[in-house]
Amino acid sequence: MTAKLLQTLGVVFVLSLVGASIFGFMVLKDRVRVVFAADATATGPDPTALLRDDVQTVAREVAALQQALAANFEQLATALEERANARHVDVLLLQQSLATSSTKLAALAQQSEGLRLQLAALPSTIVAAMASNGSVPVQAPLTVAAAGVVPKVTKQPPAVVAEPSAPEPPVTTATPPVPAPKKGGSFLSFQVPGVAFRFDALQDYTIVPELSRVGFDAKSTLHDFSGVTSQVRGSFRADFDDPAGAWSGEVAAVAASLLTGVDGRDEAMREHLATKDHADLRFVLERFTPSANGVDVEKQTVKGDLAGTMTIRGQSKPFTLPVALEVDPQKRVVITGQTKLKLSDYGVPVPSQLGMINMQDEVAVWVALRARVQAGASK
Amino acid sequence: MNARGARAVLWVALLGPNLCSCIASNVVAEDQRLVARDLTALPFVPADASAFTGLYESIDIRGDAAVALRKIYYVFDTAGSYTGAALAESDGQLSFQTLNGNWTIGPEGLVLDGGAAVQAEMAAQHLRLSTPAGSVVLKAGSLQ
Repeated sequence: MTAKLLQTLGVVFVLSLVGASIFGFMVLKDRVRVVFAADATATGPDPTALLRDDVQTVAREVAALQQALAANFEQLATALEERANARHVDVLLLQQSLATSSTKLAALAQQSEGLRLQLAALPSTIVAAMASNGSVPVQAPLTVAAAGVVPKVTKQPPAVVAEPSAPEPPVTTATPPVPAPKKGGSFLSFQVPGVAFRFDALQDYTIVPELSRVGFDAKSTLHDFSGVTSQVRGSFRADFDDPAGAWSGEVAAVAASLLTGVDGRDEAMREHLATKDHADLRFVLERFTPSANGVDVEKQTVKGDLAGTMTIRGQSKPFTLPVALEVDPQKRVVITGQTKLKLSDYGVPVPSQLGMINMQDEVAVWVALRARVQAGASK
Repeated sequence: MNARGARAVLWVALLGPNLCSCIASNVVAEDQRLVARDLTALPFVPADASAFTGLYESIDIRGDAAVALRKIYYVFDTAGSYTGAALAESDGQLSFQTLNGNWTIGPEGLVLDGGAAVQAEMAAQHLRLSTPAGSVVLKAGSLQ
C-alpha cells in the first residue's frame, strides 16, 4: 500500500515537474535570448588604451621635432648674426678705405693743379730768362721733373749757365702743394691750445688736491704714527729753468682734516692745534734756492730748498723745505719733500697721556703734491 | 712706596715693552706718500669695432695734450658716428669744445673724420687712444 502510494506520488511529482517546465518555457521563451559570442579573453587590447598610446607617441615625436627645430633655428640665428657682424666689419673697412682714397684723391688733385700752374708759368719764365741774359734757365725744369712730371721742353742748344741776373721764377709755382688742414686739431680732432709744457718759462701752477697729500710722522712712547690729509690747496709761480728768480705762492692744508687712524688721537690733535681758531696750516713761499746741479732741463727735474714762512696754530716762523720737483707723464709738476720741525716752536702743546705715553716734540713734516700749470698762461 | 705700588711698577716695567711691541707702527711709507693711480696694469689689447659704443669719459691724459686738456668725453654709435667734448684750458679759462663726426676702425687704428689713424686699445670698460701728441685713457660710462 505504502509502496503504491509512493509510486503514485512519484509519478505525480514527475508530471508536475514536466508541466512546470513546459509552463516556464512558454512564459520565458520570448524574454530570454541566447547569444553565442566568442571568448572575452580573445578580444585583444583595450582600444582606448591603444589610442592613448598612439597620442602619447605622437606627442613625443612632436616634442622631439620641436627640439630639433629649435636647435636648427638657433644655429640659423647664430650664423646670420655672425654673417651680419662680418659684413659690418667689411662695411667699416670699406668706409675707411673710401675715406683714405678720398683723401689721397684730394691731395693728388691739389698736386696736379700745382703742377699745371707750374707748367703754365714755365714758358714765360724761360722766355723772360733768355731775353734777359741769353742763358738757359735750368732751375724750373729740374723742379718740375723732381715732382714726377716730365715737362715738354724745347730742346735748347748747350750753353754755359751764367749767373742769373733775372728774378727767380715765382716761388708759388715751384712749391709742392700743401695738403689741406684736416678737420679738428692736434689731438683726436680737438683743437688744443698751448700744447707744449714750458719748463723754461715763468708760469702759474695750481695744486691738484685729489692728487696731493701733506702730512707728518711722529714718534710716541707706544708707537710711531702719521697724520695725513688731502685737503690741501694753493698755487705758486715759478720758472724751473731760472730757479734763482723769485718764486712765490702759498699752500694751505685744513688742519682739522689731518687723520692719524685713531679717532681719539685725532680729536686730541685738533685740540692741540686749536683748529677752531686756526683752521689752516699755511706755508707762504718766498724763494727757491737750487742745490748744486739741482736743475736738469733735459730731464725736467729740480732739486733745492723752498724757503718761506710756516704758520701753525696761528704762529708764523721762517721755514725751509728741501724738495724735489719733476714733471709726470700727465704734465703735472710733482713736488716731494720732507723736513723736521718742533711743535713747541709753534706753541703746540706736546701730547702726553697720563705722563707715561708721550709724543716727541719733533715731527717730520712732508709734502707729496701735484700741481698743474695754467695752460697758456706763461708770464 | 708700599709693597703694592712697587708690585705695580714692576708689572709695568715687565709688560710695558711687550705691550708697546704689540701696537704696530702706523707710519705712511715714504714711497706711499704720493697719490697713485696705476692704469698700466690694465690688460690693453688692440681695439675692435665692438669697443666703440656708448659713453666714454677720460680718466688719464698724457703727453703735451695734457697741458691744456682737462677732460674728454666721447659717445660712439655703432652706425659709425660719434660726438665728443673736450674741456680745455687756455689763459686760465676753461671751455668746452664739441665735435660731431664719423669714426671707422681698421688695422691701423681708429680714424676720426678721415684723419690720421689713432692707435686704439681696449681693456675691460676702458679705451686707450694714443697719438704723437699724447694719449688718453677713457672709462666707459652710462647715459642717464
